[in-house]
Amino acid sequence: MSEQNPSLLSRAMTRRRMLQGSALAGVAAFLAACGTAAQSTAPSAAPSAAASTAPSVGASASPVLSPTPVPSPAAVLNFANWPLYIDQDTSNPPKSPTLDEFTKKYGTKVNYKESINDNEQFFGTIQPVLQAGQDTGWDLIVMTDWMAARIITLGWTETIDTGNAPNFVANENDGYKGLSWDPNNDKRAPWQSGMTGLGFDSKVAGNVTATASMWQNDPRWTGKVWMLTEMRDTVGLTMLKLGLDPATATQANCDAAIAEIKKATDAGIVRSFLGNEYKQKLISGDLVLGFAWSGDIIQAQLEKSTLKFNIPTEGGMLWTDNMLIPKGAQHKYTAELMINWVYDPKIAAQIAAYVQYVSPVKGCAEELAKNPDKTVSVLAKNPLMFPDSATLAQTHIFAALSETDATYFNNAFQGVSGQ
Amino acid sequence: MGALLRRYRSVVPYLLLAPGIAWLFVFYLYPAIQMFITSFWSGSLEQGYTFSLSNWTNYTTALSRYQDQFIRSIFFAGGATILTFLISFPLAYTIAFRGGRYKNLLLFLVVAPFFTSFLLRVISWGTILGDDGLLLGPLKSAGLVGEDVRILATPIAVISGIAYNFLPFMTLPIYVSLEKIDRRLLEAGQDLYATPVSTFRKITLPLALPGMFAGTLLTFIPAMGDYVNAELLGQTPNTKMIGNVIQSRFLAVNDYPTAAALSFILMAGILVAVAVYARILGTEELMNATI
Repeated sequence: MSEQNPSLLSRAMTRRRMLQGSALAGVAAFLAACGTAAQSTAPSAAPSAAASTAPSVGASASPVLSPTPVPSPAAVLNFANWPLYIDQDTSNPPKSPTLDEFTKKYGTKVNYKESINDNEQFFGTIQPVLQAGQDTGWDLIVMTDWMAARIITLGWTETIDTGNAPNFVANENDGYKGLSWDPNNDKRAPWQSGMTGLGFDSKVAGNVTATASMWQNDPRWTGKVWMLTEMRDTVGLTMLKLGLDPATATQANCDAAIAEIKKATDAGIVRSFLGNEYKQKLISGDLVLGFAWSGDIIQAQLEKSTLKFNIPTEGGMLWTDNMLIPKGAQHKYTAELMINWVYDPKIAAQIAAYVQYVSPVKGCAEELAKNPDKTVSVLAKNPLMFPDSATLAQTHIFAALSETDATYFNNAFQGVSGQ
Repeated sequence: MGALLRRYRSVVPYLLLAPGIAWLFVFYLYPAIQMFITSFWSGSLEQGYTFSLSNWTNYTTALSRYQDQFIRSIFFAGGATILTFLISFPLAYTIAFRGGRYKNLLLFLVVAPFFTSFLLRVISWGTILGDDGLLLGPLKSAGLVGEDVRILATPIAVISGIAYNFLPFMTLPIYVSLEKIDRRLLEAGQDLYATPVSTFRKITLPLALPGMFAGTLLTFIPAMGDYVNAELLGQTPNTKMIGNVIQSRFLAVNDYPTAAALSFILMAGILVAVAVYARILGTEELMNATI
């Protein structure tokens, strides 16, 4: 539901929407980088993948080791993504320079649709088709970590022929490599990452640095606090508040977090559980403090400069959205070319300048810094877009839940959030 | 052609019914059967589902776990229906009896807001009812209500949202039944020295009964299953209705069996309620009143 309020969608709002969708995702990525990675990684995998390809960093798409004759790009590529999650030509909005340049280079028309508003919901649309062993009609889809892991585990993705995507091999940030659900780094390619922490109006609430504040009865925000409907964000941040590690979440941890959330709702401090709508209400003043997505707040600051985002002292959440090639995709090779394309640092910078999330592409910050436009080059220093190791050390990823656990967590969370 | 039609005259009614029946079959009966089967599943998306009649416990667990939301839905939908009725009846009465040449314009005004998207209207109500919105903002700055008073995220917001959205569904049927009352009956009542109140009670009200019956059903039934108002104006755990539960069971948790069972409980509950309601109002009386 939350994703369908087309009416009031200012540009910024829609972007928040995208955020929402991605919220759960990508956590895994950076953790490895900052040394706090908790997942069982297959460390051998990533280096071997990297070694198998010549590290040609440029935009060249020529497969280095491919023994078979090179297929030619298809006439069309069907690409499903979240709303406003790619750069747009500001004078000609639906047009995206990244996609247009791709078309110019390969002659492929990109059928780019902003069809994904919610992981579960989108999965619901492709699940019966994939189960029947048929082609979904999509060549490339973007799913948040946990959902990507689920689809990969179900065996419903094509393996990316990394020989066709040398940029991906060369420029993927190391922190993203060697996940337990993608040990060889060839089932998914990260699209963007972001963080979940505290969003608030500093004019009303002052500088809020701890998640625990959301449990304190304070006239500045009681009744004006929100939590996210995304289970992994809200439960994860609550677990961190309790000193528990979301990366190793157990059912007992979940019970503890749910009981804790219930305290805040029973006390009347927490008013709502929201998806994308929170930003508008934060701007209008109906809400003052709550769990928020980093890029959302960067965007909302344009409308209300007193809004702030902090990674809580107890810790924040980190997530990633991933490109997947669904099983049976008609234009697999072209999808690989697209992955290669967006891993070109120049293109990555073009996308990052617009969406303002955390880019998984090495060299993106350097490219951004080169931009003659000051408002763009300054982004290279934005800690929310290019978090330093200290920032990353404060972030956590949510465990890859087993199916039983996922059901347990979801049920408990739906119970406390009233659904 | 004419001869052909005459020859197969008995077929004609079926031909005319065919599109409607086909529609109901494809978009109602088939999904309903499918849903009924789903409600007897157990399992999960990943491991696949299995059908077994012993899974009737889906119904009892669903009912006991979500009874709060069921009760709340009845309360919200009932409250909204009463509120709509209280607003609609005087409105329809005025248009029908006092509207004169502005009748059509007034009717148009009743429907006019509905030319805008449903969602947009609900979201606008969110803005109007906001803590510092059009309604509470001035009241607060005038000091008439406390700073911490709010309407959003309370049952009042949800009930008024539903009432607003279903207003024409109540107003129009009542208007139609009032409009077609033969004015000579009212004159006859006056001629026989009935007071205006008793004319209203003995003539107008009974004749308006079919419209009231239709209007309350058209409001109450969809309001029971409504989830947009609770989602956008309620937003707190204490204002979630059964529609919100079904939505999240289907789409967020992928718990299809429970969602299907809940849908069936809702459907059955509404059927029973409507049957009882029709019984109380008296179907026969309704038929007579229509004639």
